Amino acid sequence: MKRRNFLKLSASACAALAALELGDKPVFKAACAKAGQAKTSLPGSLGAKETPSVCEMCFWRCPIVGKVKDGKLVKIEGNPKSPANGPRVCARGNSGVQLLYDPDRIKYPLKRTGARGEAKWARISWDEALDEVAHNLLKVKEKFGPHALAYFDHGASAEFMRDIFKTLGTENYTNEPAFFQCVGPAALAYLKTYGYITTGTRQYVDMKHAKAMLLIGTHIGENVHVSHVREFIEGLSNGAKLVVVDPRFSAAAAKADIYLPIRPGTDTALLLAWMNFIITEGLYDKDFVGKNCSGFHDLKKAVKDYTLRWAAPICDLPVKDMKRAILLLAKNSPHVSIHPGRHSTWYGRGDTSRHQALAILAALFGAVGVKGGLYFPTPVKKGHLAFGCVEQEPETPDESISEDYYPFASTFGSPTSKIIEATRTGKPYPVRLWGINGVNIIQTIPNPYQTMEAIKKLDFIFCEEILPTETAIWSDIVLPGATYLERYDTVYTFDLLTPYLTVRQPVVKPMFETRSSFWIARELAKRAGLKCFNYNNEVEFIEEELKGAGLTLKSLNEKGGIVSYEANPYRDPKKLKVATDDGKIKLSIEDFSDEDLDPIPKFIPTPAPPKGYVRLVYGRSPVHTFTRTMNNKWLHNEAPENHIWLNNKVAKKAGIKDGEEVVLENQDGYRSWPVKVKVTPGIRPDTAFMPHGFGSRSKLLSKAYKQGASDQFMITKYEDDPFMGASSHRTNFIRIVKAGRVIDLPELCPPPREIPRFSIKKTRTGGK
Amino acid sequence: MSQLAMVIDLSRCVGCHACAIACRAEWSVPVPYRRNWVKRMGPEATPKGLSFTFYPGLCNHCDEPKCTTVCPVDPEQRVFKSRDGRTKKMAVRATYKDPFTGAVLIDKKRCIGCGNCVEACPYGARYLNEELDDPKADKCTFCVERLAHGLEPACVRTCISGARIFGDLSDKNSEVYKLVSTKGALRLTSKEVNIGPNVYYIGKEKDLYLLKKTYAPHERKWENVKAPVRRRILKAAIKNLVKAV
Repeated sequence: MKRRNFLKLSASACAALAALELGDKPVFKAACAKAGQAKTSLPGSLGAKETPSVCEMCFWRCPIVGKVKDGKLVKIEGNPKSPANGPRVCARGNSGVQLLYDPDRIKYPLKRTGARGEAKWARISWDEALDEVAHNLLKVKEKFGPHALAYFDHGASAEFMRDIFKTLGTENYTNEPAFFQCVGPAALAYLKTYGYITTGTRQYVDMKHAKAMLLIGTHIGENVHVSHVREFIEGLSNGAKLVVVDPRFSAAAAKADIYLPIRPGTDTALLLAWMNFIITEGLYDKDFVGKNCSGFHDLKKAVKDYTLRWAAPICDLPVKDMKRAILLLAKNSPHVSIHPGRHSTWYGRGDTSRHQALAILAALFGAVGVKGGLYFPTPVKKGHLAFGCVEQEPETPDESISEDYYPFASTFGSPTSKIIEATRTGKPYPVRLWGINGVNIIQTIPNPYQTMEAIKKLDFIFCEEILPTETAIWSDIVLPGATYLERYDTVYTFDLLTPYLTVRQPVVKPMFETRSSFWIARELAKRAGLKCFNYNNEVEFIEEELKGAGLTLKSLNEKGGIVSYEANPYRDPKKLKVATDDGKIKLSIEDFSDEDLDPIPKFIPTPAPPKGYVRLVYGRSPVHTFTRTMNNKWLHNEAPENHIWLNNKVAKKAGIKDGEEVVLENQDGYRSWPVKVKVTPGIRPDTAFMPHGFGSRSKLLSKAYKQGASDQFMITKYEDDPFMGASSHRTNFIRIVKAGRVIDLPELCPPPREIPRFSIKKTRTGGK
Repeated sequence: MSQLAMVIDLSRCVGCHACAIACRAEWSVPVPYRRNWVKRMGPEATPKGLSFTFYPGLCNHCDEPKCTTVCPVDPEQRVFKSRDGRTKKMAVRATYKDPFTGAVLIDKKRCIGCGNCVEACPYGARYLNEELDDPKADKCTFCVERLAHGLEPACVRTCISGARIFGDLSDKNSEVYKLVSTKGALRLTSKEVNIGPNVYYIGKEKDLYLLKKTYAPHERKWENVKAPVRRRILKAAIKNLVKAV
């Protein structure tokens, strides 16, 4: 009986609980008398053995402690010593326990026995699996050259294996969906304006000390990065004013002082009009701009025709609201957080420019290096790792699929859209082998139908995976990776407002036959005959890195697994020097004009929805990460499926009710799996929204399979960002299919003349 | 007398559900049961503007709990002790309100798993854990077990935005007392159901409006704990008897 466990109290707990009187007296006494001898356990997670580590339920990587009782992980909490999150972790961080114990985990190396995608596997040995991967890497390289190898990577698990692809000499050794499907355009815009990646994995924006904040399409709160959310909330509770621009009334919009429900695709028009307004009204920081920025006169000239009156019909916003918002921000400058955004692969053309416009707005306000503004990273010192991978002289391909197409792509790798195209067509050169690590590419890269078609053409495809995702079931060999709770990774430093150094270390031993990413990469390198990875195990190189910080693993653990440092985020505006070639913040970017791209943002409209359709946008469920957590028992229970948000007036006219189950059909005739409708005034009439990551198509994910609909399978049309080759995600349109009947959605806010309408060239139905 | 209480600040809450999961982990609450939940509301129009907010809920440890009155277990005399050593003798059933902390607790040893208290709660804050060989009622304890170790409740400790404030309402210096007495904190009550919940909500007017409209209970559920449940009590009693034999 479970109450016996409850009463198995240790002597110390008995003393502590005496005051509380939880049980009735005689039983209580008896239990305590026995406590000395019995194998004891405190209630809940109390008394567990705690190991400090780092979360990887998302990539924000909060410091955590794993709490283990009788060899079993019972709970995860934030590391109380962490200056960023303290004892807190989000729902996903709390649910790491159920990733570790997910019964659907890939337990052994697997070899495909059915067709690709059929999910038929045979269990094989590690020797066989690794030999087969190594053999294919060498064979494909020999037959088709090094560039026929491509690696899709994300997160800590992928870092070691990347070195193998690099060593083999391919230009396609890193094709991170994290850049080409997410932060790329924003990262490039800020890198070129400020000389550092103000937004990429991290966002260096001091919301905690802001007097006003601007969010454009950023939905903090549904997008849960703990320290970031905390700083946002701290800022608000300190009285900061908030302006949110978003076609959807997000969790952040719900906290806004001014909410602007903008027409999708017109953010740059708003930003240009705002810039022009503060320049002509003299509301910009003249001293700051004069001293620290270059290109102001070109900017002034370039934006002079963009008035609020011009922007109003384009953005579908009243002039007075746009004016009220910019005046609020101006009034509080320079202590304004012009949030740089994060996920920015929206419309293809214009994405880099939109974030460049945000970067310029912050500079015009002088909101750089000051409290409340953009700030500078504080690098934390650690030892340099030399894995000893001998890189072959990279043989440049006759035609690169990275820099020959997109001048700024190679900063980040090869665009995923180009890899897929080369795989499908063999042009400009054949790509015949894919390695995948830490990313479910089928549910991440636009047009999964095309991705699957490309996979069918490959000679070989393998992945390191934890769960049997769509990508795993399309692989020839699956290498079962250990979760972040079962392995070491490299030393991890955090350079935001609360700098620290910590390390990921196993809180339990790897389960089944899973292995750490380092072990897998090292074994693979050995079998491919590559001279790589000079260390025998993770602890060896962790000690090397820690030595550079004056620490050892033992001394770090004695300090609670984490060491904090002073931050140095602010700069004297009189002595500001940024890391661009001339030390100035660039309001006009010559590197762009050198490549025949706009040096100053222009408004390039993205086509409006065709009649009968609305634009599909997507975002996050606060309890899920990508498609990674939908099978997690606890998180699935919080949010098992997604809903499609439809405007209440549109729904009423179309006869669609809240909670009704429908199917979505996109402009190319592809249909979604059934999904429930959420009818709300919190979305524009020309837009529909759904949280990303649901509607898994892997039957082996027993909880996630067919739960809700996948936004990704509705994104079949994309355009590439001309600057860096990221592919767009918000260029697709949907209508509703209810009980087999196609329903055209009424148009309640038609686009103005300036915005062309998307035309459906050929209609096809019967997509999967 | 002390009364433990919680104030939840909806202006800080972002609806991340960390509280619900931390509670589940801490107390091994099996899916799909809950001691602690987050329900999402909106975006919906209110007279005070568009609202998109959350109902982070848990047992209210009410001033006049009704769950304790429907427990069929014979009352037993018990001596309660306060942390500063005072004692009080009281006859209690298998579920009771602790006179010194105001926490409504379940004596799992005496609970017969009849489910009466589960049905009586107008907030749905209790569940019958049928995963156990011997089903028992279960609910939030305000983490009194953790408090005894000087720790905050698990949901408070994990709350990423600091939206949960916990303390003793009888202590005039406590943060909860200050918030409840000055900020116009909302209790989820109605004309029909007004039993003194000790979880309070503060935040924007529109959000409190939507919360109250959507989740203030109106059904006096404890008055409907009737015949079908009696059969279950009998069943539970027989099961216990068989087990004893």
